Amino acid sequence: MIWENIKLAMKSMASSKMRTSLSLLGIIIGVASVIAILTLGQSATKSITDAIVEGGLEMVTIYPIRSEKSSKEFTEDFGDRLMANVDDIRTVLPVNSSTAVVRVGQKSASGSVNGVLSSYADILDFEAVEGKFFSLSDNMAARQVVALGSAIAEELFPDGDAVGQFVSIFRNQAKSYQVVAVMKEKDPSFNIQYNNGLYIPYNTYSQRFIRPTIVGSYVVRVKEGADSLKVSDNISDYLDSTIGSDSYTLFSPATLADMAEQITGTFSTFLAAIAAISLLVGGIGIMNIMLVSVAERTREIGVRKAMGASPWTIMGQFITEAIVLTITGGLIGIGLGTLLSYAVANVVGWSLYISYSSFIFAAGFSTLVGVFFGWYPAMKASKLDPIEALNYE
Amino acid sequence: MSSEVITLHDVRRYFLMGEFIVKALDGVSLTINRGEYTAITGPSGSGKSTMMNLIGCLDTPTDGLISIDGEETLGMSEAELAFIRNQKVGFVFQQFNLLGRINALENVMTPLLYGGIGVKERRERAKEALDKVGLSDRMRHRPNELSGGQKQRVAIARALVNDPSIILADEPTGALDTTTGNQIMELFEQLNSEGRTVVVVTHDLDIAMRAHRQIKVLDGKLES
Repeated sequence: MIWENIKLAMKSMASSKMRTSLSLLGIIIGVASVIAILTLGQSATKSITDAIVEGGLEMVTIYPIRSEKSSKEFTEDFGDRLMANVDDIRTVLPVNSSTAVVRVGQKSASGSVNGVLSSYADILDFEAVEGKFFSLSDNMAARQVVALGSAIAEELFPDGDAVGQFVSIFRNQAKSYQVVAVMKEKDPSFNIQYNNGLYIPYNTYSQRFIRPTIVGSYVVRVKEGADSLKVSDNISDYLDSTIGSDSYTLFSPATLADMAEQITGTFSTFLAAIAAISLLVGGIGIMNIMLVSVAERTREIGVRKAMGASPWTIMGQFITEAIVLTITGGLIGIGLGTLLSYAVANVVGWSLYISYSSFIFAAGFSTLVGVFFGWYPAMKASKLDPIEALNYE
Repeated sequence: MSSEVITLHDVRRYFLMGEFIVKALDGVSLTINRGEYTAITGPSGSGKSTMMNLIGCLDTPTDGLISIDGEETLGMSEAELAFIRNQKVGFVFQQFNLLGRINALENVMTPLLYGGIGVKERRERAKEALDKVGLSDRMRHRPNELSGGQKQRVAIARALVNDPSIILADEPTGALDTTTGNQIMELFEQLNSEGRTVVVVTHDLDIAMRAHRQIKVLDGKLES
């Protein structure tokens, strides 16, 4: 019976194509805009979070803010204390950085000079393409050695062969450093531009470069498989309770990504809700066309009743027709909305993230619109008096 | 099996027209037996259409009892009445009333659909019925591709297909020329000779006289 009803509905749609397509327009536009907004919203979220997490979700960076109290707390052994109090931390690396000018012969570049431990490169999966990152003994002896980020190396040594050469790093006075390694290109994280960095041993930095009053930052690497969001929350809690919430800023890609996702998610849901209103308008169009259809086919309804169609059967026929209408509109709308998103994503340069759940939502919603707005006309049809309907001209 | 197919017992059907009560049928009792060929006649406004609607279960009486093939219709719901129409009554209308968007075969299949019969059996029985009225070669034609006589034959096939207890025809020749009308009446006579109960409602006395029994309705009462 359902199949018969669907066939009947198709026949009735085909018999007045112009009218059908006009009344479908509302549903098509509504569904297409809902789909486009959800798809583009998700694509935008994806692009933003992708950019954020490129540097690695497993990193959390703590930037101390200088004060009398924090100077006492944020020392070299802060990492050990942090690891003792917060679970799921693999390592804490203190880092000092500042900007400086580097020169080789006539060429000069400006970059951030980072004083780091010898394990820094390993822990951040930061590999050398030439030479070897400096060693523990380089650090212990505070040797004047440097590993160059790929962009800096490119600027200073466009012809290669950097390892073994000397560069001058200016900070009040020029000091000569021997290049031990050129690092592989690494995608910048939100807060760290790896390729524009120069990496010198931690002790060299604090003894020979600048004597810092406080550690510049701590890079915390979360254990494999642990929840970064939770770890960064726990770190915040620990810092708040021991040092105070105004003594540091915390940078965690996971937290940022989560926030960005929430903001864009809320935003696109809000827009989709507005677009859904146009679906309701489309639904009213469907109701209108169904009322016309019922009026036009009064005699047919009478004949069907005379042949033994019960009120429920008639109701089913017209509800099915309304649903077939809205689902057709919904499917066209899904196609159109996807196409539109594809075009926009292409122009803006986002990678398209197709959300299948929004397809299901749109199809379900248009069915619902069909049932809701088809109900009244169908009920009207089912309640027609067979004698009056048969004599209807 | 009882021989009575239609019984009306003191049936009244009143309509409210503004402030007036119109007594379309005012106490009619009648029995029609299985296999009878009956004509219901009367001038327009006599109440014969009301009577046909009541016999066909398209309408319910204000008072009185109607039973169709042993089924007492009093107190039946709309859906139950629809079931009686589907199973026990085959309608033939003056204006044919075929469904325009579907072909002859599909038209004849429709009552079987409402009877809950599977598509394969529907098609077979509809073909048989069309064969019986001599239209096997017009099955795939839509109503607007058929002549008036052919349309009425399709309508008769549709009335027959569910094997109903009564064939109820309302002015079946009213929209046809005399020759075609005669052919249609011959078809009814043939169906009656095969044992079917046929009730023809008409104001045309020539048509009425072909039936074996004439029931005259005047001012909502039977005249005998």
